[in-house]
Amino acid sequence: MKNIIFIFSFLLSTYSFGVTNTYFCNDSFGKHPIQQGGRVKPLNVHAKEMMKYLTGKRKVDGLSPMMAYCLLSLEGMGLKNDLGFLIPVEHSQTRELLGIKESKRVPVSEIKSQIDLLRAESAKATPDSSFQKSLKKLINKVALYDNITTSNNWLIPEASDKEGEANWVPISAFLQEKKIIEAKKVSDKPFVHVLNNAAENYERINPKSTHKLEFTYDKANLPAWSMVITLIAIFCLTLFKSFKTALALSFLTIGLQTTHMVLRIMISGRAPITNMYETVMFSGYGALVLALIVGHYKKEKTFVYVGLAYNFCTLMMMNFAGGMLSPNISPLVPVLRDNFWLSTHVTTIILSYGALALSWILGNTVLIKGRLGKLGPNDERYYSDLIYTCLKYGTIMLGAGIVLGGVWADYSWGRFWGWDPKETWSLIVLCIYMAILHGKYTNWIPVKRFIPLVTASFMSVMMAWFGVNYILAAGLHSYGFSEGGAVFLGSFFLIQTIVLVITWKPVKNSVELNNA
Amino acid sequence: MIAILDKIEKTLGGLKCAVVLIMLFTLAMIVGTFFESYFGTEFAGKTIYKTWWFMAIQALMFLSIVFAAFRRLPPKKRLYGFYTIHLGLVIVGCGSFITYYAGVDGSILLPPNTPAREIVLPEDILQIEIPDEGRVVTYQLPNAAFATNIGEEYKQIKLKTYLPYADKQFGWLPAKNTYPEIEPVHTSEYLIANDNVAQKFLLSLHPESIDFESNVTLGPLTIHYLPEGLAECFARDNKSKLIIWDRSTVECKTPESEGIDIKVTKTGSRFLVIKKNDGYLSFFPDASPWPMDEKLNILQGSDIRIFSKKLFEDKPNLFLFGKNVGFYDKDEEKWFVEQAQVKGKKVELPWMGFDLTLLHHEDKLVPTNTPVSTWPIQKNNQLIKGDLKALSIEVKGKEYWLTNERGMTLLIAGKKMNFRLIKKTLRLPFEFVLTRFKMDKDPGTNSPASYESFVRLFTENGPSDHHIFMNNPLKHEGFTFYQASYSQDRQGNYSSTLSANVDQGRPLKYLGSLLLFLGSLLHYYLNYRKVNKKNVAPLIENLEG
Repeated sequence: MKNIIFIFSFLLSTYSFGVTNTYFCNDSFGKHPIQQGGRVKPLNVHAKEMMKYLTGKRKVDGLSPMMAYCLLSLEGMGLKNDLGFLIPVEHSQTRELLGIKESKRVPVSEIKSQIDLLRAESAKATPDSSFQKSLKKLINKVALYDNITTSNNWLIPEASDKEGEANWVPISAFLQEKKIIEAKKVSDKPFVHVLNNAAENYERINPKSTHKLEFTYDKANLPAWSMVITLIAIFCLTLFKSFKTALALSFLTIGLQTTHMVLRIMISGRAPITNMYETVMFSGYGALVLALIVGHYKKEKTFVYVGLAYNFCTLMMMNFAGGMLSPNISPLVPVLRDNFWLSTHVTTIILSYGALALSWILGNTVLIKGRLGKLGPNDERYYSDLIYTCLKYGTIMLGAGIVLGGVWADYSWGRFWGWDPKETWSLIVLCIYMAILHGKYTNWIPVKRFIPLVTASFMSVMMAWFGVNYILAAGLHSYGFSEGGAVFLGSFFLIQTIVLVITWKPVKNSVELNNA
Repeated sequence: MIAILDKIEKTLGGLKCAVVLIMLFTLAMIVGTFFESYFGTEFAGKTIYKTWWFMAIQALMFLSIVFAAFRRLPPKKRLYGFYTIHLGLVIVGCGSFITYYAGVDGSILLPPNTPAREIVLPEDILQIEIPDEGRVVTYQLPNAAFATNIGEEYKQIKLKTYLPYADKQFGWLPAKNTYPEIEPVHTSEYLIANDNVAQKFLLSLHPESIDFESNVTLGPLTIHYLPEGLAECFARDNKSKLIIWDRSTVECKTPESEGIDIKVTKTGSRFLVIKKNDGYLSFFPDASPWPMDEKLNILQGSDIRIFSKKLFEDKPNLFLFGKNVGFYDKDEEKWFVEQAQVKGKKVELPWMGFDLTLLHHEDKLVPTNTPVSTWPIQKNNQLIKGDLKALSIEVKGKEYWLTNERGMTLLIAGKKMNFRLIKKTLRLPFEFVLTRFKMDKDPGTNSPASYESFVRLFTENGPSDHHIFMNNPLKHEGFTFYQASYSQDRQGNYSSTLSANVDQGRPLKYLGSLLLFLGSLLHYYLNYRKVNKKNVAPLIENLEG
């Protein structure tokens, strides 16, 4: 070990200039493969995930995540850096415990020095309280930070005895003196040379590895582009009154999102509907496609607006709610793997949520417009019919999805129906919409009530979709509403309720009309 | 009469009734999902999903669906979709009822290389085994969520209260039996602590104390709880470091005080002989506290035994005698016995800055955990509170608590009876053996990627081998076995759990679902009408222009 430090200091003296010494670190390492979290991925993606988890930010002290990850990893080999590494501490009790006054983000050394205190407090804290969770998270972060800075996190593939498989060696063990001296003979950047070599070797024995594709997928950042284009399309529609441009941009968005999903399927090897991030993406995408199809056959341009608006909402969530919807690709639990019925079932349910979301956007728009006095009873009747169209697709697909879910459960677990919260909530959603559709034929639900009721019913979709995971799955003990998901859902319910209250109108006229 | 039936049909088959029923059903389900999240799956089933009133709502919905269709006869083309949907629902309803009535939903545990044929079902039962008569009696406990009075009697056994979810409540109870005045039956509670950790523990010598034992191990420290009378001899600094304990008189002595010679064998181990009644007992105290008789048979259960303190000097051993504390201090090479008052001064121990406090002491009362009814709490599909089922039974005027954690044996009318609270089981007509269990992990991690069971099935037609894994169940004689979960013992051997199902309603549910789907398509297709779009204000102004 002493030797290697000597070699480093000797060889690296040429690199040391500028304010921050970055040694041989290089953004091009981002393309290298790494096996972490149960799968092989590009180092860049891994570095991003790690830095995002540790610091909550995309950049670390002005450096790219790849550079920061590399510098931290070199610490374990005696190469110091002057990286300002800050970890956010948000929970007020935790802040008090650590004696943090103003700054939201604290140098990691400060947390490390009090790690025993954190452990002791975590053992004492109420189980599953938000305080304990925050402490545990900090402890985990420090452990991960230590794992990286002791050079144990960055794994390099080395050829193994088994064909097509690699041994994953920590970088500290990989960078042996001998290797570097050999490399020095052929390259003036020996470290880069050996690392590149290892990556190339891995690619040669694993030609099917998708880490390079994932690197491209990650760099392309298609959800961000899709969001921008969707927004421009909405502007074209509403401000510039240029329907054709909006339509063209809609197709462009669909193209980008299709590419994004196809890449994701190729990387993960499964349908893109296995976590929240993917379902949100798929529902927005599916709803836009559905809206364009329905709009085309109905010759109704409103659908384009509704589809774009909903797709924009989902893209916003994908781009800005990373804490709640993790874009990371991770291995699945066994029961969710290789399953035709699961894929069909979830796809159908998510599409139905998309269709119901169209009715929700339409409902809210009509309610607000109505409140502003711009719609007459005739208009409302017409738009309630458009909402009804969305409901048709939504309920049929939801019903089919529930049945397919039963088929899947039967196929995987041996029971068609088990009153599991997720399946029960999807049935609750269907029942609520069914009650409205049945009630539509009685004088209980005239047009003026139909629209707010449909709009309000979307809250049940949100409950089935997010609530079961973020509120019900949390159980009795973690009802703190402190986590991202619950806050999001709570705000959604609140805002929707406010809209419904503001736009409320008594309906006595129409009741008389119906009774007559 | 017909008029009344007609009225019922009209009301139940009406749209408003349908809406009300759907909303009631929905409301119950919403409550159910929250119950499930708070109190666990089983509790939600017992309070909502499997209650009579929830079944009644479903039955009324079923009638409503049937009547709604009847009321719209003779068939009209416009309603073909409607008829199909309602027919589909009726068929699904029938299929579900068949599953509910005749289906089996259980699980079977397969330990490695051990034949298994019992399916565990969700129902709780009381099992009374009478080995002398070779008879087993079972009683199915009520499917209740809260404490229930049973009030049944079998022979001389009264079944009283059943607690489906219980917590243990600690208390000091008077003993059920009487003991001689001198017999040590005392119990003490202590706190051992240093700056970093603290641990309370309760030790008892009472024969009726089933929840608390007389020794405990805390990390490297072994704690022994001994009769009070022994403390005095631990304090004696006798040369042999041997203590003679006579259980019948509750007295301790030393060889020195009794003038007994300690001899040494050729191999160098100490032994001594004590005259007892008309025989001799020989002891090898460095090997065992128990004596041997003339024929060199070890007499376990002898009233007289000899302890060698030497055996407890190497490792940390703490001796507690109620209000006295004994230990060996390696640094001072000396045994200490110190007094401890209840909630009084701490006794300093010679290990890692630990000290000991006596919290409570009882001479006669029995420390008892009594089950009390509680609401369960679940976390990650496991009950973290209320995971105890208890049944109180009364025999000959004495009340006993029986729990699913511990069975009980009572002597009733001269017959031994074993009581147990267990799950109902179903005996398969064939037998299984788990021959191999395979678990793949995600590369570089410990999280399972797949688990697979290799089983051998023994039937009348001879054995056959099968491979069960996720999404590849085994179907045999109407049963379907799915890979459900697994566990690992300390030796690293895997056991596999399969869920076992019989579902006769399956074809009907599938057929009904298909009709439901096709019916909905047909309904929307037949009822499609073009909406007049004249003079409608656009949602986005000027878009049309």
